[in-house]
Parts: sequence; structure tokens; C-alpha cells
Amino acid sequence: MDHAHRPGGWTVAAAWMVAIYLVLPISIVIPVSLTDQRFLSLPQEALSLRHYATVLGSEAWLGSIWQSFLIAVAATVIAVVAGTLCAIGCWRLSRRSTELVRAMMLLPIIIPSIVYAVGLYRYFAKIDLLDRFLGVAIAHGVTGIPYVVITVSTALAAFDPRLEQAARGMGASLSQTLRWVILPRIAPGIVSGAIFAFIHSWDELVIVLFIASRDVFTLPRRIWDGINENLDPAMAAVAVLLVVFTLGLLLLDLALRKRRDA
Amino acid sequence: MSGTGHALALRGLTKRYGSFTAVDSVSLKVERGEFLTLLGPSGSGKTTILMCIAGFVAPTEGAVLLDGADITPLPPERRDFGMVFQGYALFPHMTVAENVAFPLRVRKLGAAEREAKVKAALDLVQLGRFADRLPRQLSGGQQQRVALARALVFDPALLLLDEPLSALDKKLRAELQEELKALHRRVGRTFVNVTHDQEEALSLSDRVAILNHGKLVQEGPPAHLYEHPRTRFVADFLGKSNFLHGTVQESVPEGFVIGAGTTRIVQSVAENRRPAHGSPVLLSLRPEKIALLNEDDAADNVVTGRIAAWSYLGAGYTLVVETPDLGALRVALPTWQAPIAPGEGLPVRLGWSSTASVPVVEDVA
Amino acid sequence: MRRQDAGWWLLILPAFLLMTAFYIAPIAQVLAISFTEPSPGLGNYERLFTSESVQRVIVTTLRICTITTALALLLGYVLAYRIALANEAARRWWILAVLVPLWISVLVRAFAWVTLLRRQGLVNNALMETGLITEPLQLVWNEFGIIVGMVHYMVPYAVLPLLASMREIDPRLLAAARGLGAPRFTIFRRIFLPLSLPGLIAAGVLVFIFSLGFYITPAILGGGKTLMVAEWIGLQILDLIRWGLGTMMATVLVVAILATLAVFSRVVDLKRVFGTGA
Repeated sequence: MDHAHRPGGWTVAAAWMVAIYLVLPISIVIPVSLTDQRFLSLPQEALSLRHYATVLGSEAWLGSIWQSFLIAVAATVIAVVAGTLCAIGCWRLSRRSTELVRAMMLLPIIIPSIVYAVGLYRYFAKIDLLDRFLGVAIAHGVTGIPYVVITVSTALAAFDPRLEQAARGMGASLSQTLRWVILPRIAPGIVSGAIFAFIHSWDELVIVLFIASRDVFTLPRRIWDGINENLDPAMAAVAVLLVVFTLGLLLLDLALRKRRDA
Repeated sequence: MSGTGHALALRGLTKRYGSFTAVDSVSLKVERGEFLTLLGPSGSGKTTILMCIAGFVAPTEGAVLLDGADITPLPPERRDFGMVFQGYALFPHMTVAENVAFPLRVRKLGAAEREAKVKAALDLVQLGRFADRLPRQLSGGQQQRVALARALVFDPALLLLDEPLSALDKKLRAELQEELKALHRRVGRTFVNVTHDQEEALSLSDRVAILNHGKLVQEGPPAHLYEHPRTRFVADFLGKSNFLHGTVQESVPEGFVIGAGTTRIVQSVAENRRPAHGSPVLLSLRPEKIALLNEDDAADNVVTGRIAAWSYLGAGYTLVVETPDLGALRVALPTWQAPIAPGEGLPVRLGWSSTASVPVVEDVA
Repeated sequence: MRRQDAGWWLLILPAFLLMTAFYIAPIAQVLAISFTEPSPGLGNYERLFTSESVQRVIVTTLRICTITTALALLLGYVLAYRIALANEAARRWWILAVLVPLWISVLVRAFAWVTLLRRQGLVNNALMETGLITEPLQLVWNEFGIIVGMVHYMVPYAVLPLLASMREIDPRLLAAARGLGAPRFTIFRRIFLPLSLPGLIAAGVLVFIFSLGFYITPAILGGGKTLMVAEWIGLQILDLIRWGLGTMMATVLVVAILATLAVFSRVVDLKRVFGTGA
């Protein structure tokens, strides 16, 4: 491809600028989190881990991290089970009505969270799910379904439907076909979906602002309060921990995809 | 792994998709232990029929009967039929042995029995050494044999084959045809095969059913179909054929005479199948049944013409001879029977016997 | 055949029930409240035409979203163009530069911008130290801050559909054009750009509808002074307890988004955005 069309110098420079614009502001929180000062700034005299110590020594922060983690796990289970089965059903039936079902499953990424959050605020008040672990897990699980449906549908698109026919033809029941033939083949897609559903819940704030207040106080909620009340470098430390965690999950997903494609 | 096999019958099988009729009232019997091939061009409905037999497609009308019992409402997993899919549909995440064991696992067989059966099935197709490989590590021919072993391992009532050889190259295809035929004899089961390859159908089958536009056109043993096609489509689809148009001019002891221009052609037929005087007739004449005559040779039918085109095929020649009354005739000659080296424009005399050609009917579209 | 399908329909059922009970129902309720509170009728919707503050929020939102979309498309196109023409190894790194911001918490990103842009922030400090300015610039808590943060959030969403459509362009076409003597800019303008147009439209629609309902970034970087629709709705419900007005705006927001999607339904494929991840 020596004679392929290549972008010119200016285009390359502009692309670099955009990439820097995307990545640099996020990485700036790393030096800020290591500052030796008591206010948001770059390190002046030395690097310091004191703000990490503050966060990791604080019961409030640790409590929120643990709670966010539990909610994200529960939400991921809901989203993965419901989303995977739904994507498989739609794939196999594949008719106009299932296209509509699939479109319905995508609504949570199309309709703004604020609209859902407002609706849920009122709805959960009636059935006593406000400020409850279960309520937040359900809300995050339902809004995580689209990520699973999309990744699993993508995995299924590469699945030869004759394998399903072959299994049925040899006498396998629907659940045997699912367990032994379909699920093992689309496992990477399910894992991708699970990772995205987890990140979605882990980062979600708008819904939590409306349906949780005291008993459920997730990590994003605590960061939100931190940003609005006292901008101290401990926030940067939390941000770095969050970035590292998300990055880890993303790299895991990339590694899995690479293995699947190999 | 040998058994008696089961008899299958289709009764008035019809499948419509909206206003399109994919299969049109097909009735057919497959005897115990028989190798039947459904042959037809793409879109002829042959695969739909196979899918109806397997249970993946529900017929709009008609029934599928196994040993006389109606199995039409049964879902595929309850029919106990072995099937070799087009492209084989081997599970890519399972080894060869796991693939073959799949139908046994589904039937909850014990581990020991399962292992023994898998081994026997793999030995049957001579793949014992490859038990632990993954399908993608096998050649096309080996994959095909795994698919066969997997379809046979649970002693199915019937073996269905959907274009089993179409993914292979020509040489391998011929080799596996032999093997498939031998396998059929060894296991003695009823096989139903679908193909669009007429050579494969002729060489493999006990009986061939020819389909066109969803209809069953003709069925019978391969040689009978080849020698006695009933319609123009059959004559044309099974091998190659010349078609001679003419009208009946007179009756003769062995049959009748038709005229085409100034040429008279004698056609022998059975007493009870003679067409009326003056009616139009279509004859099918196989290229290999036409001989190149010397000056003094005689034959029932003789025409003269000039060679318009020719090609050398190693084992023989194919000539296209332009004749005044019958148009272009295709002639196939073994090399040793060609008296001269052919050349374009060369005048030739062609001859064939009155039993060489057969009257066929035009197909109604 | 219907009976055999029953099992597959059963697989769809859990998601369908969850979605209906815990997603569709609450949202339907939002739409309903806008017609019933404080009094039944279209009273809340009248405000669209009579209330200056309602109109101001809508105009502000549309203005910010339009600017955001234009900038995100421009930056996204430059980046996608570079990625589409990169070789396999380089492409992976470029895509990572897009995917990482995409999945980093929106809160973290807003916080990072605050750190950079506030009065005693890193940008102002750096500019003052080098002597370029003597007074700190007002870079955040205003529309400028909102747009910087929103464009930053939206560029990845613009890149993914753009990239998907650019990668469908047959590289042989570009080689052919070059072989026919076309200079680089002509190849871009006459061949590459027209062929990537569907992706451009899809990216534009996607970024625009995502921007319309944006909450967190404008709330943090706007400092409560520049209100966009989502924050305004939150304000009505949580602080002013004006359910009718808040849900009316929520309904308008949903209708605007669904209408935009319906108009462009043929070019926007959400699967492309999340499916082509790597």
C-alpha cells in the first residue's frame, strides 16, 4: 500500500491536536492528584500521596466505592441476563415485531437520563423504592440492557444460524442448544456487554441524583457533591482511581476482542 | 451401525411463502435403505423439501410420513434424523470428538457408551486420528466426513444430506462420491440427498427425483432418467441433448416418421404411445449417440452438414455440426472413433439409429 | 411453526417485562403528568408560547447544541479521516485515543475541565506566569466552558459513525483517482467527502440528540448561570416542585429527539456506534 492515499501534513497535525484535546485534560488529573499542596494545583516541591491516603482512609469514600461496586454488579447481572436472552430471541425470530422489540431495548441510550430520572422519582415513590439499593440496581440494570443487546447482537450477526439448526436437528432442546452451542460462541460479546453495562452503572449520576439521597450514596454522587462544595485535591485522587479502573476494564475488553478475532 | 433404515413418504407436500409457491404438491416415496437424490436447479424447491423432511420448515399443505406415521407436526429435535448441512455446520468451538458426541450428549448417554460410539463413528469415516482436532484444523474433505460421522453416530432413522459435496473442489468431490456411496452400502440406511449437480446425482443415487419450479418433474433410477427423459427439461438438465422438432408424417412398423424440412427421421416407440398423424413432435437426441459415418455406411437416420465448431477434450471431441434442416447438432465422439481430424467447414455425414432418440414433451412453465 | 417459536419468545420476555415495568411506565407517566398537573389540559404547553424564561432555555439549548455539533463534527472528522487512512498498527492507538475518553466518567471529565479552566486553574495560572495576561480569564461557569466540555464529550460519538462509514470506502477508488492524476485535495473533495457523507449526517444527528438532553457537563461547567433544558427540568422538579412545567419540557425534549431520529432513521444506526468499538 505504498501508493495509498495518505492525509497531508496539516491534516495529521490537526488530528494530533484533536487527540491531545481529548486525552490531555483527562491525564491532567494525575499530576494534580499527586500535589503536595492543600488546594487544586500542580505539585510544587514534591510528589505526594497524601490525597490518596485521605480518600482510602475515609470511611465515607470507601463506603461509597463499595456501594457503587455492589450496585454495578447487581445491575450488570440484570442487564446481562435480560439483554442476552432478548438479543438471542430477537436474532432467532428475526421478524418485524422483534425489530420493534430491539428498538425498544435501545430507548435508554436515546432518551436523556433526566427524563427517565424524573419519571422514576415519582414512580419509585409510589412503590417505595426511593433511596433503596434494589431501586438503583433495577434502574441501572434496565438502562444497561441496550449495551448488552448491542454487543450480543453484533456477536450473533457473525454466528452461523445453521449451527443452531444442526443442534436442533440432532435432537438438542432449546436450553441444550443455548447452553452448549449458542452461549459458548457468543461469550466474548456477552463479556463486552457486561463490561459496558458495569461501567454504565459505575459512572451513572443523573438517575441517582433523583432516586437516592442518604442510604444510597454512590461514588459519582459523592464526587458530584465534592465538585459542588469543596474542590480539594482528594477529588483528583478519586478521579484518577476511577480512570484507572475504567481503563482496566476497557483494556480487558480490548484483549478479549483481540483473542476472539485471532 | 448397520440397520434396516426406514421408509419415508411425502404426500402432496406444498410450501407457499405469500403468493410464491416454493414446493407445489410433491408426492414421493423413499424405500427402506434407498439412496434418493432430489435434483434440480437453484430455486427448484429441493432444499425446501429437505427442510420440510427435517422439520425446520412447516409445510403449508401435505404431510411427511415415516413408516406410514404422520410426523409433520414433530419439531426437528424429536424426529431423530441425521443431517449433513451445506457447509457442514460443525461447531467451531468443539473438537471433532465433541462434535460427534453432541447428539449422544443430547440424548444423555453414559460416558462409556458415548466414547465407544464416537470411536466407532470416527473409524467408520477413517478419522480416528483426528478426534482431538478442531474443525478449522481439518481440510474440507475431512470436515465433510466429520459431519457424516456426527449425523450417523446416533443411529438416525434417516440421513439427510444438503448439498454435501458442493463446498469441495472437483477432484475431491469425485473421491468423496465414491466414499459416500460405499458408506451408504455399509450402513444400509435410508439416505435423502439434495444437489444441483447432475453428475453427483447420477453416480450416487438408487433413485433420482428431478424438480423444477417446485414441481416433481420425473423420478426413477438414474439410467432410466437418462435414457428415457419424459420432458425437455429433464433431457436438458441431465446431461446434454439435441432437440429435433418435426411433425408426424407416417407410421412405420417400429414407430413413426417425422419430417423436418426435407429430412425424414425414423423414431421407434412402443405400440401404445404413437402420436397422431400430423401432430408436432419433439425428440431428444444425446450427442454421444450420433455417429460420424463414412461414405458407404448406412444408418436408420442420416443427415449431412458442415462442422461449425469443435473442441478437443482429451478423451474425445465435441463437434457442432450445422445441418440445413435440423439446425446445429452437438456430437460427442471418443477420440478413437473420429476418422479424421476435425476442421471448421469440413462436410460430414451423421447417423443414428431409430432407438437412439426419445420423444419428450415441452415443459409447461 | 408458531408453537416451536414459543420458546424463543420466552427468551425475550424478561427484558420486555423489565423494560415495560421499569422504563416505559415511568416515562409514560412523565408524559401524562405534563397534561394533568397542576390542572388538566394544555396549560403547561401554553408556556412554550407565553413564557419568556421557557423560550430562553430552549433557545440557549438549541444554540449550544448547534455549536457543539458543528465543532464536534469538525474535530471528529479530522480525527476519523486520520484514523481511516492510518495503517493497522497506528490505527489501534488512534482508536484508543477515542475510546478511552468515551468511557471515562463524565464527572471526571467535567472535574478535569474545572481544574484546568477555573480562575485559579492551570490554564489561567500558566498564562499569568508567562505574562500573556494580567487578569485571569473567565473560562468556565459560562457558555464557553459548557461548549468546551460538551465538545470534548461528543467528539468520540462523532468519530465512531464517521469512521464506520469511512472504512466502507474502497481504498482502490482513492488509488484510482490518484492514478488518474488528481491532487490530494481534489481526491478528498470529489471522492472521499461525498462518500463519507452518510457517516457525517449520522454523526451529526447522534451528537445533536445526545447534546439536547445533556445534564452533568452543563450543570458543572455552566455554574448555574447558563441553563440548558435538562438542568432546567431538574430545577423545576427538585427545587421548585413545579411538576407540570418540568414534565412538559421533558416531553418536548423526548418528542424533539424521537422526531429527529425518525427523520434520519435511515442513516443513523446506533449499533454502529457501540458495535464497531475496536
